[in-house]
Amino acid sequence: MHMSWKGIVIGLHIAPRSFLPMKTVPQLELVANVGITGDRYASEDGYYSDRPEEGRQITLFEAETLEALKRDCGIDLAADEHRRNVTTRHVPLNHLVGQRIRIGDCLLEATRLSTPCRHIEQITGKDIFEPLLHRSGLHARILEGGIIRAGDTICPA
Amino acid sequence: MVKPIHRVTTVIKETRDIAPGVRLLRLSDPDGWDLPPFSPGAHIHIHLPDGLVRPYSLCGDAADRSSYFIAVQKEPDGRGGSRQVHALQQGERILVSLPKNLLPLTNAPHVILIAGGIGITPFMPMIHEMSRQGRTFELHYASRQSDAAFLPELEALCAGRMTRYDAERGQRLRLDDVISAIDATGHLYCCGPERMIGELLAKTGHMRDRVHVEYFGVSADVGQQAYEIRLARSSRTVPVKQGQTMLEALRAADVDVSASCEGGICLECKTRYLEGTPVHRDITMPKSERDTHLTPCVSGCAGASITLDL
Repeated sequence: MHMSWKGIVIGLHIAPRSFLPMKTVPQLELVANVGITGDRYASEDGYYSDRPEEGRQITLFEAETLEALKRDCGIDLAADEHRRNVTTRHVPLNHLVGQRIRIGDCLLEATRLSTPCRHIEQITGKDIFEPLLHRSGLHARILEGGIIRAGDTICPA
Repeated sequence: MVKPIHRVTTVIKETRDIAPGVRLLRLSDPDGWDLPPFSPGAHIHIHLPDGLVRPYSLCGDAADRSSYFIAVQKEPDGRGGSRQVHALQQGERILVSLPKNLLPLTNAPHVILIAGGIGITPFMPMIHEMSRQGRTFELHYASRQSDAAFLPELEALCAGRMTRYDAERGQRLRLDDVISAIDATGHLYCCGPERMIGELLAKTGHMRDRVHVEYFGVSADVGQQAYEIRLARSSRTVPVKQGQTMLEALRAADVDVSASCEGGICLECKTRYLEGTPVHRDITMPKSERDTHLTPCVSGCAGASITLDL
């Protein structure tokens, strides 16, 4: 099945080590089969780096979920607090497991749905673990690297 | 040993004696990245070089995201943690836990803080925050003038809202006087020696829901009692401290338990138990498994001990 949709990057985020707050940056360098330059999972400094996973080279999160958290739960969660690397809009992340998607000039393969982790509550101080169940984003492998920027188009490959 | 990826890596940027026997440490990210945020009243666990883990209240301003400050009084006859902290040098890397707050600041219209000696530390971030917000509070600070920490800072921040009690000058803190002056909405916070807190709790039974205490960095949260884990296969015993999860205790004892969500959902850490009564707090394990398994990330213990098949 080839889905018809077209989305956009509205935020890019990294942290160099586990637990540290994510920072929003204007662009990210994606390295094929490795990860994101400067991010904890490329340098094996992430919380789960002792359990290597090829499909965790980059992670994505829907801006629509942030809006739903506010609308349904009254929770203000900023784009750099969800701890994924890319904040998207108009991208049906939960439907993309196993599919290839293009962000700017880069090519990703979606590997699995992300699951929330209790640490996000410890780090943000917000009760968001359960509200994030089933909508905690997407893990992906980087097939073709390059630079991605806020505003880049996201589409099926 | 704990893995660095499972803790916050910090570097000691500064050590300074701020009173006789009291050393202030400033910890920051090695690359100057912001540290995980904390709220006033929070503490962190410091992983000391020989494996000791000790809790210390954060005593800086929570609005400063670049540093954690701790102030540690040297206890020559203590269990060794403070001596090791005093031996730490600027430039050393130290692993710390995420901040945890067992003494959160309420939105009460008036807050009364009672500090005994180094018990002033958890109140420093509260005073910073309440001063910034223009809230009303008062501080009763009992310590000898010669070794009271943070006095210049407190005099600047509290501006007439601090009452000092200096035993060397015969000034005794009379808890009855402080308690009798509290109105029906005031919240009372106390951190200090066990004797001080015991006396305070005995005198404030009528307002227990407005009294918040901490014993030098370890909360007196009666809802989470300490217990012990018995490991059947290795014949070891692992203590679970007040406020600690079963998983944290196992990790601290170098018992390898695979875990992922740490919120009682993924069941990655599901473990068989053989004796004892667990308090199940997961939300996904089938009822049929609850008589035999628990989730160390969230499960508690209803008694003094529980035996795991580990």
